[in-house]
Amino acid sequence: MDESKIKILMVKAGLEGHWAGLIVVSNAMRDAGFEVIYGGNMTPAEVAATAAQEDVNVVGISSLTANYMLTVPAVIRGLKERGKGDVLLLLGGTIYEDDFDALKKMGVAGIFTPGTPMEEIINFVREKTSAMVK
Amino acid sequence: MQTEQHFSASGIPIKDIYTPEDTKDLDYDKDLGIAGEPPFTRGPYTTMYRGQVWTIRRLSGFNTPEESNKLYRQEYELGQTGFSVAPDITTSVGVDADDPMVEYEIGHSGLPLNSIEDVETAFEGLPIDKVSTYLAERGPITAMYFAVAEKRGIDLKQLRGTTAGCMLSWACLNIPLQPPPRGYLRYGVDFIEWCSEVAPRWNPINHDSYNPRDLGLNAFEELGLLFAAAIDFIEEEKRRGRVPLDRFVRRFSFNTAAHNDFFEEIAKIRAARRIWYKIVTDRYGIQDPNCAKFRVHVQSSGSTHTAQEPYNNLIRIAYQTLAAVLGGAQSIHANGYDEAVCLPTDQSMLLSIRTEQIAALETGVTNTIDPLGGSYYVESLTNELEERTWEYIKMIEDMGGMAQAMQDGWYHRLLREKPIERQQKVDSGEIPIVGVNTFRFEKEPYKVPIFKPDPATSREIQAEKLRKFREKRDKAKHAEAMKRLVEACNSDENVYPYVFEAVKVGATFGEVSKAQVDVYGEWPYPIGL
Repeated sequence: MDESKIKILMVKAGLEGHWAGLIVVSNAMRDAGFEVIYGGNMTPAEVAATAAQEDVNVVGISSLTANYMLTVPAVIRGLKERGKGDVLLLLGGTIYEDDFDALKKMGVAGIFTPGTPMEEIINFVREKTSAMVK
Repeated sequence: MQTEQHFSASGIPIKDIYTPEDTKDLDYDKDLGIAGEPPFTRGPYTTMYRGQVWTIRRLSGFNTPEESNKLYRQEYELGQTGFSVAPDITTSVGVDADDPMVEYEIGHSGLPLNSIEDVETAFEGLPIDKVSTYLAERGPITAMYFAVAEKRGIDLKQLRGTTAGCMLSWACLNIPLQPPPRGYLRYGVDFIEWCSEVAPRWNPINHDSYNPRDLGLNAFEELGLLFAAAIDFIEEEKRRGRVPLDRFVRRFSFNTAAHNDFFEEIAKIRAARRIWYKIVTDRYGIQDPNCAKFRVHVQSSGSTHTAQEPYNNLIRIAYQTLAAVLGGAQSIHANGYDEAVCLPTDQSMLLSIRTEQIAALETGVTNTIDPLGGSYYVESLTNELEERTWEYIKMIEDMGGMAQAMQDGWYHRLLREKPIERQQKVDSGEIPIVGVNTFRFEKEPYKVPIFKPDPATSREIQAEKLRKFREKRDKAKHAEAMKRLVEACNSDENVYPYVFEAVKVGATFGEVSKAQVDVYGEWPYPIGL
């Protein structure tokens, strides 16, 4: 599989300032061979627009506040409106376990809490995107 | 060398054992002295914890001013001895709660403080005449706080507390609508000048290296940034010449992290005191010894806490707290053990306060001042950290100072690289983390209680309050005050007398921030991958 064909948009949906986790995971993804677009802080609408414009395969959202239950649905709505409902959506950060089911139902494919080894995230993306590229 | 080479967390080679040989160049009177006397290495005050134990102060706030007020009352009842207010991200950005930009942010990671009414609500019933308050903001909210204090009949000349105002930590947030570093420096210096006149016991700036440290900088890099930033502020005032330097510097305060390397963190605080003394006295020739006292708030390091086996964090926090105590901190925040998992529960808040109380009352470490003073190892580390810090300060000054180094992107490049470097060391096992990359269970062995805030309605509540607040204010007075504020921002004048007038007649935080930022234009942060 050619990883460089997989495009990933990495963002914080909203204005929250804890970006260290996002940059660390983004860097690990790039080192693993994926094409990474580092979006930094974006509104959910901007996330969806950028994902569509760049035609990405994966969107990774980092959240260290509880506002992911507001921003993630907004991102998903935006992605669907732009015909990008099929992207692989990842969520990382301090995510409450009792939200996992609801998030997965919404369409979040993978949830990664602090301390997850980078390899685990990379392998997850590889596995889930293997069908996306020839 | 008998065994394999060891290094401190900041890379200082550590010997098998330290002997008098390692401290033979130490001149007791010149390099150490007793506490409360130059160079203050052993402590800024003569009696230290024997006279008064450090202030117990948790940075907190969530949802709304009303709910945060309940939290502050609860903390006070549990024996906290200072308040510490964390405004939410909208307040850091500088917009009001009804701005579309912050649709999803209100009440997350802090409380919204948009108007003088919000500040009044947050502090209702709290004894702010007796207890000092830390405000994690850069000036306008403090102006509101001063107005609330005045309204309550408190003499501003006696009011005690601290405004964050530090560009190092602010720049770490990477948020929109911020002025460039020189704009930040200008308003910061304005605020210090203004406070030195209207509220001389207030600490108008808290030079703060906590955030960069938590992003992965080491102990001497942390101090280097801290002092390079403080020097920038002094240089700016020197250039202006509006306030005598001794008055300008007298209430400078500092804020560092307490990280994992126990002795290095203790040595760091001791070295910081000696360095600050030398900067104030030798470099600027300021004679007032009060200006040369490095007074510091220390917070346990959030980046060392893990989501795996969260109770392990209690142990980490207790050690870090003890390092702050043995280092001689004036104020300490022991984190909640569950902060990598959720906002602290009531139980975690209680444990955080108890951690400090147990250190203060049960361990006996407060019985004497600077108990590690004279230790061959600690003195040697203190010297080593001092030396490396001076080199780091020089490197930043060679770039034109901290604000210039920020403007040129150096600071943000550093902030981007450090967390990546740290993660690589964690991945490789070079930095061991118990329960994460060492002794990790396949499945988490236990769960901890969770606090789940529900700020879903905070935005509506705040927006409605703002609407009423704006309706109620005297529109002519408000317009006039805003006009004068904008004029001041566009001139060389100190803006804070105008900020003070404006917030008293109903200017919101968003309006004041906009007036300030408009002059310089938004500074796009240079953080990218």
